[in-house]
Amino acid sequence: MARNREEIKPPVDYATVAGALAKSVYEGDIVNFRLLFAPFSPARQLSTELFDMPKYQYLLPDDGVVSEPRYREALDKVNQPEMRAFIQGELEANRPPQLPADLLLMLADNAVRMGKYTSAAQAYESLRIRSRMQQMFLDHANSALDRGDVPAGVRGYIISNGLAYDYAAFPEPLPAIPDFQTRALLLHADYPETPEACIAMADTGPLVQAALEYLLSPDVAGALSERPESLRLEFLAELVRQQDPHWTSFLGRYEEASTLADQFGTRLRATAGSMSLADEIQRELGEDPGRIPATLLGHTIEGGEWWQYLKELAYEHPAAALFVARQAVGDLEIIVPRHRPGSPIARALGIGAGAGVAEAG
Amino acid sequence: MSEDGYVNYFEILALDESAKPGDVRKNYKKMMKDLIMEIARVEITGERRDRFLLEMAKLNAAFYVLRDNEVRETYWRQRAEVIQLESQWREAAQNGDAATDALRRSFDSKLRHFLSRYVEEAMLEAGRDKEAVEASNWDAAHERHASRILRHYRHNLYQQILDRLPYWEITTPRIDWVEREKAVAAMLAGER
Repeated sequence: MARNREEIKPPVDYATVAGALAKSVYEGDIVNFRLLFAPFSPARQLSTELFDMPKYQYLLPDDGVVSEPRYREALDKVNQPEMRAFIQGELEANRPPQLPADLLLMLADNAVRMGKYTSAAQAYESLRIRSRMQQMFLDHANSALDRGDVPAGVRGYIISNGLAYDYAAFPEPLPAIPDFQTRALLLHADYPETPEACIAMADTGPLVQAALEYLLSPDVAGALSERPESLRLEFLAELVRQQDPHWTSFLGRYEEASTLADQFGTRLRATAGSMSLADEIQRELGEDPGRIPATLLGHTIEGGEWWQYLKELAYEHPAAALFVARQAVGDLEIIVPRHRPGSPIARALGIGAGAGVAEAG
Repeated sequence: MSEDGYVNYFEILALDESAKPGDVRKNYKKMMKDLIMEIARVEITGERRDRFLLEMAKLNAAFYVLRDNEVRETYWRQRAEVIQLESQWREAAQNGDAATDALRRSFDSKLRHFLSRYVEEAMLEAGRDKEAVEASNWDAAHERHASRILRHYRHNLYQQILDRLPYWEITTPRIDWVEREKAVAAMLAGER
């Protein structure tokens, strides 16, 4: 059978293989990198698969990729005579392939640059340097914080934390918080019996601590606990913006939702949690109190419960979960915007910079 | 050759291989009592809770596996087999033997089975054993929390063993740590 297949299949062009390998290295994509060495890979002469097949087009570099310096760098490496001989040998051998460590290291670094931490973690793990790389990123991050370079410090903490993920490698960047679906809900596990009883209304110190634990991890938050509060605050604001490039667009929706919530703000402060409040809110908002969470999220979830809105909101804008609260409205429960008046955290993040609505307390 | 990573229940109960079931029971009860007293003495943090749960699960499993002669012999035999396979594979890899890959596969499969059976499964089963429950007060809540911890523990043991073995999935890396420091600094500076 193998002989027949070999006769039918045109010779695999190394330039095509090199391009596909260089693309996977450039994109930090360990899944595609492994696939190219797999027994069924179109890069193997003995496989029936062909690069010409439409299903493998995604493996090949397009015009946008070939002009990238990091792609060229990877391609040069793949085309080095020694590397080329090794790759061809592995693709011809009838046994599990050995992946070239040099390319894997380039791939891991590129994955870090693109925020594909599961891919980077797996590549570093194969090289047996994951924990040392994690520590190195953390050490450099701490040095950056020591000299007041908060953006570099935050970047280092995000990377070090990302390399701790044990999830299977995924070719795309993960959500900023991989298990947001449980962690955001844990912030709101108990219904706030008073407006002050929610995470958004916590004092600055505890809120910064909770935010760092939620956005990074308890370990990381612990490592930062010795730092001055002003630095922790600056760190948190930078962290939110680095994790969520679209934070500013969320702020617009937050203001809009706050305006809706402000329509019954006075009553909300006075009688939170009571049935009469629920009636009043319903009267204010007509038959659709779900407008508030839908405005926060930017779209409606059909029949969406408060926790569904919270999960999706945390996926889109992780830090948003820190500035909302649960609110009963008749039989329905929704999430509403809430933050502490004059809070330095809210100020640093641009929360409530507009009308100052949805401030409770 | 290092035996680190191949969980040794005799060591956990501070016993030698000739220990009688009575010794197993005696040491287990004493060590469990000490552990429970320590837990009562200190403030429980998340990190401590995880550590104590793991310690408790290890003691329970050691008792569960070693008190029964048949289970104990099977465990000890399987442990010896997997250690021997590691040694055979190392030797074959060193000599460039044709059987290297077959040995590596066989070792990997036996190692995974050994760790699943005697780290994760035995520890969870022991938590449902009447005598172990009586001594440790282990309940469903313990089991719920411990599942994740035991999975990580098993994963770490597996990794600990793999880390000292010859490279087979990739070529031997040549890591220049000075270059690594520079690369990390550049990435943190925002280099794309």
